[in-house]
Formats: sequence, C-alpha cells, structure tokens
Amino acid sequence: MHETDIHDLSDDADYAAASQQGSSSINRSDSSKRSSSSDLEDAEIVYMKDNVAIHPTQSAIEGIGGRLKLLKQGSSLFMTWIPYKGQSSNARLSARDANLYTIRAVSFSGIHSIRRHTPTIGWQYVIVVLSTGLAYPPLYFYSGGVREFFATIKQHVLIVRSSENANVFLVNNFQDPLQRTLSSLELPRSLANRTPSSSFPDSPSEGNSDNKHTSEDESSDSIQQNNKQRQKSQDPARDISIQVLEKFSLVTRFARETTSQLFRESLDAHGPNEKRRTNWETSANDVEIAPKKVPVPSDPLELDKLSKVWGQPRQHPLEHQEWSIFMDSEGRIVDPDALRKRVFYGGVEDSLRKEVWPFLLGYYSYDSTYAEREYAVSAKKSEYETIKNQWQSISVEQAKRFTKFRERNVLIEKDVVRTDRSLSFYEGDDNPDVRRMHDILLTYSFYNFDLGYCQGMSDLLSPILYIMKDESEAFWCFVYLLERLGPNFNRDQSGMHSQLFALSKLVELLDSPLHDYFKQNDCLNFFFCFRWILIQFKREFQYETTLRLWEVLWTHYPSEHLHLYVCVAILKRHRAKIMGEQMDFDTLLKFINELSGQIDLDPVLRDAEALCVYAGENGVASIPPGTPPSLSSQDASIYQQQDDEVL
Amino acid sequence: MASRRRTLLKVIILGDSGVGKTSLMNQYVNKKFSPQYKATIGADFLTKEVQSDDRLFTLQIWDTAGQERFQSLGVAFYRGADCCVLVYDVNVQKSFDNLNNWREEFLIQASPSDPENFPFVVLGNKVDVDGGNSRVVSEKKARAWCASKGNIPYFETSAKDGINVEEAFEVIAKNALKNEEEEIYLPDTIDVGNTSQPRASGCDC
Repeated sequence: MHETDIHDLSDDADYAAASQQGSSSINRSDSSKRSSSSDLEDAEIVYMKDNVAIHPTQSAIEGIGGRLKLLKQGSSLFMTWIPYKGQSSNARLSARDANLYTIRAVSFSGIHSIRRHTPTIGWQYVIVVLSTGLAYPPLYFYSGGVREFFATIKQHVLIVRSSENANVFLVNNFQDPLQRTLSSLELPRSLANRTPSSSFPDSPSEGNSDNKHTSEDESSDSIQQNNKQRQKSQDPARDISIQVLEKFSLVTRFARETTSQLFRESLDAHGPNEKRRTNWETSANDVEIAPKKVPVPSDPLELDKLSKVWGQPRQHPLEHQEWSIFMDSEGRIVDPDALRKRVFYGGVEDSLRKEVWPFLLGYYSYDSTYAEREYAVSAKKSEYETIKNQWQSISVEQAKRFTKFRERNVLIEKDVVRTDRSLSFYEGDDNPDVRRMHDILLTYSFYNFDLGYCQGMSDLLSPILYIMKDESEAFWCFVYLLERLGPNFNRDQSGMHSQLFALSKLVELLDSPLHDYFKQNDCLNFFFCFRWILIQFKREFQYETTLRLWEVLWTHYPSEHLHLYVCVAILKRHRAKIMGEQMDFDTLLKFINELSGQIDLDPVLRDAEALCVYAGENGVASIPPGTPPSLSSQDASIYQQQDDEVL
Repeated sequence: MASRRRTLLKVIILGDSGVGKTSLMNQYVNKKFSPQYKATIGADFLTKEVQSDDRLFTLQIWDTAGQERFQSLGVAFYRGADCCVLVYDVNVQKSFDNLNNWREEFLIQASPSDPENFPFVVLGNKVDVDGGNSRVVSEKKARAWCASKGNIPYFETSAKDGINVEEAFEVIAKNALKNEEEEIYLPDTIDVGNTSQPRASGCDC
C-alpha cells in the first residue's frame, strides 16, 4: 500500500477550499473509521475486482486503474481501492492522483450510500457517499462486476434501496424501520433480475421521448406508488443531496458534477420525465428552442452526461513561462505530445501564437534547435522570394497572353478585398496586409500550380497572416496548413465529399435517430455542413475564437478528424430543434448558416472530445482512410487535375 | 401539398465570382448594399414575401458560390428551382462569356421537366462602375445573346445604387410563378402567366 503523505493536496483547489471551510475531510473520516493496513492483514477478502478505475481529469484517457476489494474483519466490512503503480501515461498526474484517490480501508459504518450508475454507453460506475456528505470519485468497473459488488455488500452489511431512486443504496439507514423492511423486500428481486443491459433500455429504437420511462424510473415509480404518502415526510435522497451540497468538499470537480447530476436526477424524479431528458438542450442550447411540433427521438448517448465523463473542461491558454518549460536549453520541444495535449485543452495565449503555430502546423520540426530554426527561416525566406518572383516578373505583355494567370490574379484580388476587412488589421484602403494576403495567395498558386487558388483559401490565410505578420513565415505556415487541407479545394471536390461522407458515418454511429432523420429527409449529403468543413468553421465564430479552435484542431489530439466530431457535437446540440421542427434540406441549410456567431465553442469542444473518445475505434473505422486532413492522403495525385480550367 | 408548394417560389442566382450575386440579393431583400460582402461559401438564401395579383408568395432566393470548382454542389441546391437568374459583370468580358456555361450547368444539374421553356433572367450588373467607362460588354450584345436563348428577359442593374433591382426581381418572381403554375398544371391560374408576358417581352429581347 502507498504510504505517501496524503495531506499534500495544496495544489488541488477543491480540496483546499474544502479544508479551509473546516468541513469534514476524507482524511478525517478515514482516520476515525478506518483501520490501519496492518490491522487488516488478517481480514478476509470477500470481494476483489481488478480494472476498477477513476477518472480524475474527466478524460477517459486519464483513467487510473486499480483494484477494488471488500474486506471482512470480525463483523465489520471495509472497502479499499488501490491504484496500480505506474499505470498512467502521465507520471506527474499519476504520482499525485494515486495518493489523492487511494481509498484505504474505509469502513462501511462510515458510508452513507452507494449510487450505482448504468449508462447506456460506457462502463458502469458507482459513487460512494460517506456519512460526512463527502463522495469519492466514481469508480468505473472496466471489467464489470457491479452486481457482484452489491451482492457481496448485501451479504455482510444492511443496505436498503432508496425509495426515491432505485439505483441508490443506503447503508446503515436505521431512521425508518418501515422503509428498511419494505425496501429490503425489494432488493433481492432487483439485484437478481436486473442485469446491466436490461436496467437502462434507453435505446433509440424505443423512440418516443415524451412518454418514455427507463426501467430505472419504472422501478422507482412502482416504489413511489407504494410509498407515495411516506415520501412526503421522508425523502432520503433529498436529505443526502442537501447534506452533500452543504458540505461539499469533493476531491475532484468530476465527482462534484457527477454527484450533483445524481442528485438533480433524484430531485427531478417527482417531475415529468421529459424535464430531465431535455434539460441539457434547453440549458446548453445556443439558440432559442421553438416549441416542439413532433416527438423527437431521444439522444441515445445522452451527450450531456457523456460530455461530463469523457470531455475535459477547458484550461487557461498556454503562456510564455509554461511554454519555455516545454523546450530544452537549445530550443527543442522535449515532449511534443505533451505540448499538443496542452494546447488541445487550453489553446495558446495570443502573443505566443506566433511561436507555437509553426510547430503545430508542421512547419518547424519539434526537434529543431533555435539555431536550426533561425537558419531555416532565412532559407525559407529566400525560397519564398524566388517563387514570388516568378509571377512578379511576368510583364504586362506576357500577361496579355497568359489568361490563367490573369484570371487567377483577378479572382484573388476580388477575394482579398472582401476578407475580414472589418478587422482593424485588414481595414482601410491600400492596406499593406491586404496586399500581402494577395501576394501570398498568388505565390501559393505558383508554388502549387495544380491546386491553384480557390475561394475559401483567403479565409484560411487571413488568421495566419494576422498572427505571423511576416509575409514569408505566413506563406510557409499556409503551405503547411494546405498540406492538410488542400484536398478541401480539389477541383472534383473529392476531399470535401469524403469528409462529408465520413461525417454522415459518424452521425450514424453517434446519433442513429438523427441519421435516420437525415436519411428520410434527403439530407445525407450533409452539404449544410460544407462551409464548416471547407474553411474550418472560420465563418462560424468570432475571429479570436476561430484562432482558438484552429490551434486546438491542429494539435490532432485526440484525432486528426476532430473537426468532424465538432460537426457532430454542434448538430447534436440542435437535434431536438432540427427533428422537432421537421426541417427539410433547405430549412436545415438556412438554420445551420444562421448558427454563425451563435455557437459557444468551449462546450462544443468538450462534447466533441467526449464523442471522439467514446467513438474510439468505431469512430476511426467510420472515417475512410485518406479522408482529409489525413496525412496518408498526401501523395501528389490528389492535386492532379484536368488541364483545362486551371484557376 | 399543391397549395403549400405554390406559396414558395425558389430562385437560383448563378454567375462568376464577384459579379454581385450576394449584393443583388441583399439589395432586393434588405435594400442594403455593402462593399464588403464575403465570398459566398457553399450556398445561402434569403426569403421575401411578394404579392402578385392579390396573392402572396414567398420568394426564396438562393445565392451560390461563384467559382466553377463548387459547381458539383449544385445538384443539392438547384433542385426544385422555379427560376434561374444568370448574372454577369458588364465590366468583365469573361463573366459574360461564361453565361452559357452557367445556363447549361444549371439545366444539367437541376434537370427541370421542361428545359426548353425553363425561365431564366439575365442581369448585367455593376453598370454604375466608373460611370460606365470601364464597360466591356455592350447592352446590344447582351440582348442578342438573350434573344438567341429563347428571349430571356434582360436587365441592366446596379446592386450598389439599387438600379433596376426591384424591376428585375418582379419579372423574376412572375416568371418563377408562371413556371410553378405550369409545373403543377393548374389551368385556373394561368392568367398570372399572361400578365407577366408583356413585362417580359417589354425588354426588347
């Protein structure tokens, strides 16, 4: 067992806050209730389960695996959870969290209740709430075993099912003998008959959300029928929630959110089921919800909950001091994956973007030194000038006989003067940066003559020039961005079509009712998401927000196709409106276009991450190989075009 | 269903990049002009209620991306169109030369039931630029082309100054309505088509 000092928790804000308030802490309850490990050496192991994990950072990737045990000593039952050593990919996190979350022999006499949660997707988990009102982080049973866990407890300790919520089991509840008797009678049936798969039949095939009850609700309903009168005076779940909310000192934000969700559910149990079901849609929605006209199939994933479990809250942006830690003395990025991850979760402070973006785009290599980069930048600068000179040296006479050049030039001229001109950086007549944008685009069309210039490219270049300032540096960053996104502009639109196809497969995987709806309404081409994908949501957010989204997407963490999951996340946020109002293709396109400026990025990113992590291998399998920005598609053939109409 | 269909008239605006499609649409619907409309990506549309012979219709005006590269999206956007507006810039020869491509591409992708008689309207935009001094396509030339394609109604417009925009869209709406009526074979409303005829032919084309 770990014997590291469990009191070293100063960097955990939640914990620190709780300690300051002087409320009961886990340590205190532990020390009063638990026996030391040596005391338990002669204890009998009555239950042991491997691969039981906690997720302290709300990201599935960050799970800490461990072993859960129930130990019997005399007439007392104890629970322990010990994390495996060195299991986490992040050593810093592991060392701290392993100590923080280790459960050292908590006695059941100090446990108030245990909540079982059986999500439709993902793993079953339980939350242990102590008599003090504290809760341990959810314990995820990767390899099953929740039923056995409860069955074992039941053999040794008196536990009763809450009359309020069939998934809450009260330990040591002697307040109400009648309830104890009644609920105890319920318990064997429910434990014996309710398998995890049947306990939550919240599948899309059941359709109708308005009248839908899960079996969880049905069970509690039946109990409610029996105990209706009594509930008014005795409401154990509400007692717990008040207690917990008052004394909250949860170890992680994760546990707090999950637990508050838990109690919100039990409080809502009196109200219409629909209220809970549509809760996130009304609260998290970006636009006003119009009255539903038709019943909408519920979200099979319950994204609000999924997102809490699998998506991480946003962090503060990477700033200078922290950035320097990522580099060794000569300027190499020591751990590129750690950097990518850091940027994914927090983005980059504006003044630092100029330094970080070239790495994210692949222009600077992570293992280059300051000196190497300095040399490369200067070499690239002259290379840029050489290519630029190719078109600059075209004389007027020559241009008269060079239609493609003239037309390309005109097209670029037309677009740069209408790209982000309201931004102070690009505003005003004869703005030198508008001229630079033109020059970079025209130079690019010579650098990659086959791809040429296509509308949308100016949207992609604008933020890069805005950040990089230097013309040559902006050009090369743009080149590397188009190494990834170039196929978006293929003449045959193959790059776009393959992404739209992949998107339809992801929606099918992650929201089959919505997919069915699109299919029935002839919307499966997903052209309404065309603008989102072509220019990476550039027109959907405020400028500053777009910069944030792009650097997050460029990390390719956790997927190079995260942008498709962002599409799914936004669509899912509006699924009730889309289906409820029976939008046809035209209406849907209009609706999507008008979401511009209405989308709240952070929750969408969190949803997208959750969806991506949840989809896992199935998500990867839904995206055909070579779908942009997949680097495997980067062979020259993608740019090969018919010789005519090169513009 | 017929009555529901009849209230909506779908109009598609096509033409080269930068000829003023978005500006024309916004001038007609919102009576506004901005020199800084962004290049249209994908497609979008605006709607406007119009009255014709005491009947109310919703005109749904589709604005599309002008670059040829995006034409393959047309299949999704053009379907169910009742009228197609072809726009060129009187100051850019190429945009006029491309009118034929746009017309043919539309007929292929929208595949209307009667392509020979599908209503088009041609707009020569930006007549305001440089007081007309930079103009390269003459009105005569434009009208000749319209005549050769089955007497397509022709208007010279300035989205910037609002010249002829209202008039053009009136004819566009009438012709869309006419097409709509013919498409669903409702003889009792054919008179609407008759009233639009003099206007359309009043353009000397």
